[in-house]
Amino acid sequence: MAKTRREERTPHWVLHAFLAATVLYTVYPVLWVITIAFSGKQSLAIADLPADPSKLDRARAVLPWPTRWAFSNFTSVLADQPFARWMLNSAIVAIGATVVGVALSCTAAYAFSRFKFPGRRLGMMSFLVSQMFPGTLTLIPLYIIIVQWLGLGSTLTGLVIVYATTSIPFSVWMLKGYFDTIPKELEEAAVMEGAGPGKIFWSIVLPLAKPAIAITALFSFMTGWNEFIQAATFMDKELMYTAPVGLRFFVGGFQQQWGYFAAGSIIVSIPVVLLFLYLQKYLVSGLTAGSVKG
Amino acid sequence: MSPARPPASRVRFGVGLLLGLLVALGGGWLLLRGAQTQMEDDWTTRRAIVAANALASLVSQAADDGAVRTVVVAWQRTHPPGTRVRVIRGTTLEASTNPADSGEKAAPRRLAREEKPLFDQAQRLRAGVDNNREGGAPKPEIEVEREGGARRVAVPLESDGKVTGMVLVQVPADASIAASSPLRAVLLLLVALVLFGVAGWLLPPRSALLAAVTTALFCLATAFFIFGELRALGLAERDGQRALARTVTVEVERAKALSGANAVDGGAWDTDLSRKPHRLVNGTGVIDREKGEAAAQEVRRGALRSLLALAGLGFVILVVVAFGGANRVGRALVTNRQAYAYIAPAIVGTTLLVFFPFFYGIALSFTDSNIYNTNLPLSELWIGLRNYTTILGDWGFMRRAADGHWVFNYLNFYWTFLFTVIWTITNVAWGVSFGLLLALVLNTKGLALRPIYRVLLILPWAMPNYITALIWKGMFHRQFGVVNQALAIVGVEPLSWFDRPFTSYLTALATNGWLSFPFMMVVSLGALQSIPADLYEAARVDGASRWQQFTAITLPSLKPALVPAVILSVVWTFNMFNIIYLVTAGEPGGSTEILITQAYKYAFQRYQYGYAAAYATIIFGILLVYGSIQNRVTRATEAI
Repeated sequence: MAKTRREERTPHWVLHAFLAATVLYTVYPVLWVITIAFSGKQSLAIADLPADPSKLDRARAVLPWPTRWAFSNFTSVLADQPFARWMLNSAIVAIGATVVGVALSCTAAYAFSRFKFPGRRLGMMSFLVSQMFPGTLTLIPLYIIIVQWLGLGSTLTGLVIVYATTSIPFSVWMLKGYFDTIPKELEEAAVMEGAGPGKIFWSIVLPLAKPAIAITALFSFMTGWNEFIQAATFMDKELMYTAPVGLRFFVGGFQQQWGYFAAGSIIVSIPVVLLFLYLQKYLVSGLTAGSVKG
Repeated sequence: MSPARPPASRVRFGVGLLLGLLVALGGGWLLLRGAQTQMEDDWTTRRAIVAANALASLVSQAADDGAVRTVVVAWQRTHPPGTRVRVIRGTTLEASTNPADSGEKAAPRRLAREEKPLFDQAQRLRAGVDNNREGGAPKPEIEVEREGGARRVAVPLESDGKVTGMVLVQVPADASIAASSPLRAVLLLLVALVLFGVAGWLLPPRSALLAAVTTALFCLATAFFIFGELRALGLAERDGQRALARTVTVEVERAKALSGANAVDGGAWDTDLSRKPHRLVNGTGVIDREKGEAAAQEVRRGALRSLLALAGLGFVILVVVAFGGANRVGRALVTNRQAYAYIAPAIVGTTLLVFFPFFYGIALSFTDSNIYNTNLPLSELWIGLRNYTTILGDWGFMRRAADGHWVFNYLNFYWTFLFTVIWTITNVAWGVSFGLLLALVLNTKGLALRPIYRVLLILPWAMPNYITALIWKGMFHRQFGVVNQALAIVGVEPLSWFDRPFTSYLTALATNGWLSFPFMMVVSLGALQSIPADLYEAARVDGASRWQQFTAITLPSLKPALVPAVILSVVWTFNMFNIIYLVTAGEPGGSTEILITQAYKYAFQRYQYGYAAAYATIIFGILLVYGSIQNRVTRATEAI
């Protein structure tokens, strides 16, 4: 090869230009929503155009920077709209579902990881297959069960039950994977000292698995916090909406309250975005590991 | 697996017989008791309605208000104590035999404020009558309330074909059907067990003969039970009919005496809640034999079906227990009780709310279930494969219009399927290529600001996707959206993005492309960083070009991470409900629906639950086929 190594490399400024353009693409919608949120108006236009706009006017309407900074959308979405209530609903549902779901998953995952019993393979496989059920197929019967049979439509309890149970298969797989990595010797030592399986689970395995449990719980929380379809289907009363359903209520149908939507979106997103950035490395390994096994 | 020492087959057969019969006979008895209570309830109501209709016809014939009061008091006197009557016209309490309406509150008087519910009830009845006359969806013209065994019946009061008020009659409880006793079930159970004991003592313990005897005993006991109970049920129905006929006769006699007329049509008094006569009893209180027999048949047939199902269940239990299945299951449960206790809560929860809904959904797909008939059992809505043939059999997703253009039927399954496939392929292709490109760039050694780029580029994945979808929907707004503003700078006319299928598809593609590439980027980046650097070193020493290095080292090393990621991403995109539902909402005309949103719309906008379930089952089938193909392909590539 006649070329030297230096010539072979793409110069860094080209890479930076490319990355900057991409970052602009990824960040623009976020800046846009921030701009609308701080505009103090309900319109989804960044700037009002004059009757005969020049190119400069149009460029101003694209630049994600509010013409006037105002905090009013945030204050009134929380005070005048039932948005605080919706956030509370979302928090109750997500936390409730996480506590119930993770508690049930922990014991099940431990059993799947440590005991050999008839039905073990069947149980794990059916949990895996259940992840393939199309949401809409189970949504109709769930609607009939929750709303028409149990009368739990528009209640937080109904949503907690649904979220908790549907999160179990994923949580069990995540936790089982982690329990498998905890060395058995620890438990064997405890058995030698006369500890029963219940005691081993409580005082040895659970404390060791704390990080995995925390991560599973955070995923479960995020799923509940972001869930839209089931909440939109089960929650009829405006006061019982969760945050996602409420945000869509602001801009869906005949409503065009983009200011409320933008402010609300920012409030709702900040915790999950931070959580996500913290959790994403676990997510990637968990997801790809799971599918390799499948 | 051979258990250490199975209990003698004699004991197993005995226990199996006992459990099976307990289910078949005990369950049957409980079921029949429920059915009889229901029957008793219905007959009591029907008799109360006869009485109320009889009184209403008397009151409507009364000449004036005074006559109404006379009739009501006289009528009350001919009825058992506990009967109460109130007649309401407009806001006036015309007549009353209620002890509370005496002294100051004696009729006639205006209704008090706290008696507003009575006025409302009269209004409801009038609305019901008017509605039914105009041929609207049937509404009740009679209201029945229960108070213990007593019934409070409200019937409208008509004069000259107009509803002017209502008659409220409270009829005390009276039983017409003898309560069923568990005697027959218990006796049959005991006899069967005693006979089994005798047979077990006589026959060798492990013989086929014992099995035959046990089966015969089970069948005989069940048959005797079912036969006897059905007869009893038929008799109970007959009793109910007789009691009704008696009530009609008595009411006719009383009406004749009170009104002085010689002919009164009592047959019209036995009505359902829309005041349509059942015509089971004619005007003089004689039962129509054919109708009575048909009603009894109907009752027996319904009960027979349930009893046979229970008997079948009992027999299955008998077989399972007798041949050691239950024994083995029980043994496994006991030895692994700890494991089962640990998984039980999760299994119960997912069984009820994940697996049961799944199978229920599949069952639903064979029915005609929709919003109007959800209270009916699935067996009555069963239509077999019709939903599937309607969905899959309709190939007409495009045709040539008169002017030579191709016209698409966007509601057709194959159009939606085709669109879903295009949607999935374009999205995954974009995600993989752009994600991989970014990963390669970010993997450049010594590149400044790498962590910052990484975080900013992951941002779209971190945003909740329903928010992303709504943001992009806003940005594609025709009048105020920034996309059209930006295009205007370049001189492009504002586009109505959601008016044409292709542009509408582009909006969804832009949105999903925005949020889906970071996943691929992160996965590829992780894999790239795990490739040992000396591989490239060696390649360079061998004089490989950069492209050769990429195809010979980078791509093969990426494969173990990328293949699962692509598989996952195909399933995600295929089922990407939120983006389609919130961005394009299928506009225009359902052309940009993917399968999953289309199924949702059938269920929750058109309320065709059965049809939507069939649609979703087909989606599941497609995913299963995809899964098995993908499994085979990855296994094949791994083998290489």
